[in-house]
Amino acid sequence: MTEAASASVLRFSAIQQSFASPTGDAPNVVISDVGFEVKRGKFVSVIGPSGCGKSTLIQMAAGLLKPSVGMVFHHDREVTSVNRTIGFVPQQAQLLPWKTMIENIEFPLLLRGMALSERRAKAMEAIKRVDLAGFESHYPYQLSGGMQKRASIARMLVYKPDTILMDEPFGALDAQTRMVMQHDLQTMLATEGASVLFVTHDITEAVLLSDSVVVLSRRPARVIAEIPIDLPRPRDMFEPYGTPGFAEAYDRVWSVFRSELNIRRAA
Amino acid sequence: MSDQMTLTSLRSPSPKQICAPVCRAFLLAAPGVTLLCFWQFASGRLIRETYVSKPTEIAWRLIDLFYTGEIWPSLRVTGEELVLSYVIGVLLGLLLGYALGRSPRAASIFEPYVMAFYGIPKIALAPLFVIWFGIGIWSKVMLAGTMVFFLVFYNVFAGVRSVDRDVVNLALVLGANERQLGRQIYLPAAAPFLLLGMRMAIPYTVIGVIVGEFTSSTAGLGLFINYASSTYDPAGVFAGIFILLAFVMGMNALANRLERKLLKWQPTSQRIASEPN
Repeated sequence: MTEAASASVLRFSAIQQSFASPTGDAPNVVISDVGFEVKRGKFVSVIGPSGCGKSTLIQMAAGLLKPSVGMVFHHDREVTSVNRTIGFVPQQAQLLPWKTMIENIEFPLLLRGMALSERRAKAMEAIKRVDLAGFESHYPYQLSGGMQKRASIARMLVYKPDTILMDEPFGALDAQTRMVMQHDLQTMLATEGASVLFVTHDITEAVLLSDSVVVLSRRPARVIAEIPIDLPRPRDMFEPYGTPGFAEAYDRVWSVFRSELNIRRAA
Repeated sequence: MSDQMTLTSLRSPSPKQICAPVCRAFLLAAPGVTLLCFWQFASGRLIRETYVSKPTEIAWRLIDLFYTGEIWPSLRVTGEELVLSYVIGVLLGLLLGYALGRSPRAASIFEPYVMAFYGIPKIALAPLFVIWFGIGIWSKVMLAGTMVFFLVFYNVFAGVRSVDRDVVNLALVLGANERQLGRQIYLPAAAPFLLLGMRMAIPYTVIGVIVGEFTSSTAGLGLFINYASSTYDPAGVFAGIFILLAFVMGMNALANRLERKLLKWQPTSQRIASEPN
């Protein structure tokens, strides 16, 4: 591996996060000690039991939340304010309802002051990449959940960020649509070369998409394992167990993850 | 693509749908026509005509008022008052509602005051408005404008405050600055609320202006109605009221068109005040 390829794009350094308790007692510690990094061009998933602060890490990387203790570095610069150089795909598609699909996708370019003709052309390009051509002038309410999700991914691709944050992007989709989206995401990223931080609670999804899976403990969260996934690409999202080595990789993640769920059940 | 969907909004009209507007117009007119017929019948038979006049009498009076031109000066004055109070009330309500909506700190200080002023029965202030702003159009413009202002202000304020923090955060990450947040997120999100406030304000403009004219004035439809009622001329009263009715309906139609144009991004079932036509 060359020097450039192993460079850290996104790094969480000794993160702690606590939120004021609503009852006024001692603050709620959500994250007790999390540190890991996303290397250039790598796809890293973070999984953990619900409520363990996975989405909080995304918020920190986006510069929307300052960690109570510790630092987040993006390209070796500490993230101290809203991070406008990353791509962000939220849990819900969050298209602006008053904009048509193409207007939503060109929105980041509009914010950057790009001329209409230029941003239309770039938006069309992104629309073709997510396979939504023909629906440009539909309003979000006229699109299915899967199509809204595609549009939200196109809105992120349109300004070609080199780092992408995805916060359980496929959680709300039905099982079939989700598999198609996972497949398409893999295809898109293969040509994009972007680094991805992907939050999910779905082990299959994490193993299939990732180069490495970070497993968080239950709250207060700490990193309990970082498991490299060395399966060959492209991987088959529709028949995961057909991919050689998938079952072993899944078991490695599950054996760590299961311990967290057991503790929780006993408590 | 696996995720296809049906678009009900893009269906071509079936024969049943083409007939529908005619049926609907008929159904819409039926209660009104029934009421007018009953009125015509009852007047002079069940109720004395000097109390309620009758539709044909009112129609003749209206024709006469417009034919002789007697009504035009009153219409012009009242029209001016209505338009001025509405425009000023909407603009100020929008401006202040947006400003307070965007600034939680200012809102926490000023909101109780605005709420207190909102609670004052404006009509009780009508005599004072005449003292403050004179007997001309401005006392009416201020009275009706105040009513319009509060309705628009509260709706816009609520609309701006209803904007989801997550949407704002997303816009920030996508690159929005403060000015762009306002233009691209807060204003469009508040638009349905603004339109609701504008629609609610239409009858209040009329009430404000007419009460103002009743209180004290030298010209206007309110004065005309007041004069007719104090001279036992029910046909005159109802003629004036029908003119006001026509104005309110015309404004409502305008509001519908504006709504269809500005809110075409909303599914019709979600519109706060959707109209069937």
